[in-house]
Amino acid sequence: MNLHRLGVKFFAGDGATIALPEFLPVFHRWIQQSVLDELLLDVADYSHVHAGPGVLLVAHEGNYSVDETGNRRGLAYYAKHPQSGDVAAMLLAICAKTLRACHLLEREPTFAGKVKFSGDQLQIFANDRLNAPNTEATATALRPAIDGLLAKLYPGGKCEVVRVPDAKERFTVNVKAPADVPVGELLKRIRGE
Amino acid sequence: MNTWKQVLSDRMPAAWAEEIDVFETQIALKKQGKVDDKLFAETRLRRGIYGQRYDNGQRHDGKAQRTLTFPSAGLLKGTDTRWDAPGMQRIKLPWGGMTPEQMDALADVAEEYSDAICHVTTRQDIQLHFVHIEDTPDLMRRLAAVGITTREACGNSVRNVTACPIAGVCRDQTFDITPYADACFRFLLGHPDVQDFGRKFKIAFSGCRENACGLVTMHDMGFIAAIREIDGAMKRGFEVRVGGGLGAVPYEAKVLEEFVPEEEILPLTQAVSRVYARLGEKRNRARARIKFLVDRLGIEEFRRLVREERKVIPHDDRWTDYIQDVPRFVDEPLKAGKAAASAGADPAYQAWRSTNVYRQRQEGYAAVTVTLPLGDITCWQMRELAEIARRYVGDNVRTTVEQNILLRWMAEADLPALFAELLRIGLAEPGAGTVVDVTACPGTDTCKLGIASSRGLAGELRQRLAARFATMDQSVKDLRIKVSGCFNSCSQHHLADLGFYGVSRKTGGRTVPHFRVVLGGQWQNNAGSYGIAIGVVPSKRVPDLVDELTAKYLAERNKGESFRTFIERSDKKELKAVLDKLAVVPPYELDRSYYSDWRDPREFTLDDIGTGECAGEVVSMIDFDLQAAERQYFEAQLHFNDGDFRKADETAYRAMLQAAKGLVRTQFQDIGDQPDRIVAEFRGRFVETGLFRDKYAGTKFAEYLFHRHEDRQRRFDRDHARHLLEESQLFIEAAHACHAGMLERAAAAKAKPAREPAAPAPA
Ligand code: SF4
Repeated sequence: MNLHRLGVKFFAGDGATIALPEFLPVFHRWIQQSVLDELLLDVADYSHVHAGPGVLLVAHEGNYSVDETGNRRGLAYYAKHPQSGDVAAMLLAICAKTLRACHLLEREPTFAGKVKFSGDQLQIFANDRLNAPNTEATATALRPAIDGLLAKLYPGGKCEVVRVPDAKERFTVNVKAPADVPVGELLKRIRGE
Repeated sequence: MNTWKQVLSDRMPAAWAEEIDVFETQIALKKQGKVDDKLFAETRLRRGIYGQRYDNGQRHDGKAQRTLTFPSAGLLKGTDTRWDAPGMQRIKLPWGGMTPEQMDALADVAEEYSDAICHVTTRQDIQLHFVHIEDTPDLMRRLAAVGITTREACGNSVRNVTACPIAGVCRDQTFDITPYADACFRFLLGHPDVQDFGRKFKIAFSGCRENACGLVTMHDMGFIAAIREIDGAMKRGFEVRVGGGLGAVPYEAKVLEEFVPEEEILPLTQAVSRVYARLGEKRNRARARIKFLVDRLGIEEFRRLVREERKVIPHDDRWTDYIQDVPRFVDEPLKAGKAAASAGADPAYQAWRSTNVYRQRQEGYAAVTVTLPLGDITCWQMRELAEIARRYVGDNVRTTVEQNILLRWMAEADLPALFAELLRIGLAEPGAGTVVDVTACPGTDTCKLGIASSRGLAGELRQRLAARFATMDQSVKDLRIKVSGCFNSCSQHHLADLGFYGVSRKTGGRTVPHFRVVLGGQWQNNAGSYGIAIGVVPSKRVPDLVDELTAKYLAERNKGESFRTFIERSDKKELKAVLDKLAVVPPYELDRSYYSDWRDPREFTLDDIGTGECAGEVVSMIDFDLQAAERQYFEAQLHFNDGDFRKADETAYRAMLQAAKGLVRTQFQDIGDQPDRIVAEFRGRFVETGLFRDKYAGTKFAEYLFHRHEDRQRRFDRDHARHLLEESQLFIEAAHACHAGMLERAAAAKAKPAREPAAPAPA
């Protein structure tokens, strides 16, 4: 499957809501301190739009976003350029980047523990209507890569994977895992630590 | 099939498909090093692909300037533009027209190649940001498949042809100008006579003279619908204007022809294009827009040349072919018009309806403005809006120059249902065309030329004003605010009641974002008159300034007096005093918030500069001179307002000389007051050495001084005085920037030896 524009979003948990503009200085600091292992370019503020990409940390390989698409806040990361490995390997790498950013935000001192992510709900999407239209065929083709990812995150657990059926929207599946695992633990699992 | 090229091959117009293939080949050749950087830059610009901030591979992160080490390190897409740096894709929408199918395609490409946002511009285009050059051919194919081209969206070519968004449904129109705007776009797209311009060329159509929609007088060429009786028959035609433009120095377009019959508009446009291509400035970008040519030749001579040209252009059937289709170019409403049963009881609906709904000339129909905050709409909202359009209005959707989307031909009876739908997708904000509907250019968010954060400020103003909108006096609600990131006026700040554009000032050796305040512009009458610059305030005090100025207006206006008239008759010294009160920047140690911009927490500096003592003396002297120049500029404005154009002109010229002298004095104390000597020394020491050179504008601002200094047959009229006032203000800004550069270099020079090990003492 010729596909690299994949993305993963972990949803924010219940609790205090941080105003979107408060993420701006955090992302700028990440750039200053080269916190992530990739070329970070800029921060884009879309806090004024409804249910949109919120605040973006634009990187060369992909974008991080405190994303509110679908009226649900979460941290999304999606790739823009091909990475090494097959689709399954790329999906693992993308999910690892998402979890790393989630973990950093949870530990961000300025948020004083108010940012939490649900470790049992995530979304996997493909930004590519040519190679991954929102169809059952795509779901079938991507299933092994998705299963491989979920087996790493939730070994032995049975996850519910449901495709969002709207044909006009990009290919998206919502995943409900059997247990709410802290993102720090998920990060360890995906890294094989 | 696994490429868009294959999938869409039979859905794209063949010529467009071929152009995109050619462009894709040019990309491949560029990657192989077979295309010159400059040539490739103009090639991509003509396909609407623009550079974006930091694309030279340098970015200041608030602490230090950093190099962005992109993977394809040595590869460029322009002389100093990194290949991998994200760029902007501008998408032309002639007369702002969009169909639901096109909206879907725009949403899809925004989601897959950009950042999931479609940005509506002040010229009815859509812009996508953070796009990689190698994604653009497929992006273009997907748009071409739904009838959209990006060709000539940027570059020295005919840009989007804009038109009143309510054309055809307007209660005041002379006739629907849409088919004429469309014909003009199609005729000029790729036309050989428009390929050799020194600069861009913007065209607008307006259905009437009085209202604002077409903004004809601020365009390179503009058409205002008119009807005349000729040989006993009523004939459609246009008043044609030429040589307008905002940019750094705004010019009002002059009447080229008072009435041109419909069959003559395309050949006349072609004749104008040929004269402009032949005689317009090519080398000096600063004076290359057609407004300078018209000004230099005078409108009478320009008209003569155009008429001569018109006589010799070979006939082209396309000049008149479209006219037979004009009667068929009528909107088809999707649903039968029906008046609303009641005004509804919901206050939110009523508030929205009072500002966002325009009653069409056609009984039972309304045109509805969908307010987009800062011109932004998410790809999800765009797709949902396309669905809503399919259900209520069909293809009758347009973008507006106020960065909104208009749904036309809404049956009035459906308005409550539409409101509920818009509410669901977060697009039911009231306040269209009011003080909360702030227009902003991209500014420092993405634009390479941005000085201050226009979107940050606009977002802040929107939020604050919206919070108290319901209780505002109607005359304040009716004001318009427009914010540009620099003097280039992309937000059209000259036409706003309250206009702002980004500048910077040095305080204690640090750079502080500021906005210059331009008051009393006129949106009506097709951008009837431009505002006047009053002074400069720190970015962080602009919201307070808006409050102070609107309060002053409410307290001191005459009965029924508009803001513009109020500003016009106000004592400018008093207005300036309001600004001056807010102009003080506290020391960095006391309040750091002034030293960063709205919604950008990075410190607003270009380098880590301390308050270098070495620059102390230089600073104080030049500061004094620049302040004197500012004061003279202000006095020139007062003379202008009093109608003394000669005095205004001479004082504005003196202000430039004063600023130039200030700079020269940093190197040559005894320069004296002789204008010839000041200009010669300034040229030799600052212009020829590159010290006064603006990174993007080059020597444009210096030329304002040279041009005026050498103008021995000066005409002292209103237009010339007004232009010189603008030029003088920009020159003084450039002198401030030059001075800031000097300080930075002095500080860097001082810091350098301290970091390096001391040289060994000679044996
Ligand atoms: S006004 Fe200046 S900052 Fe704004 S878009 Fe135009 S050039 Fe860029």
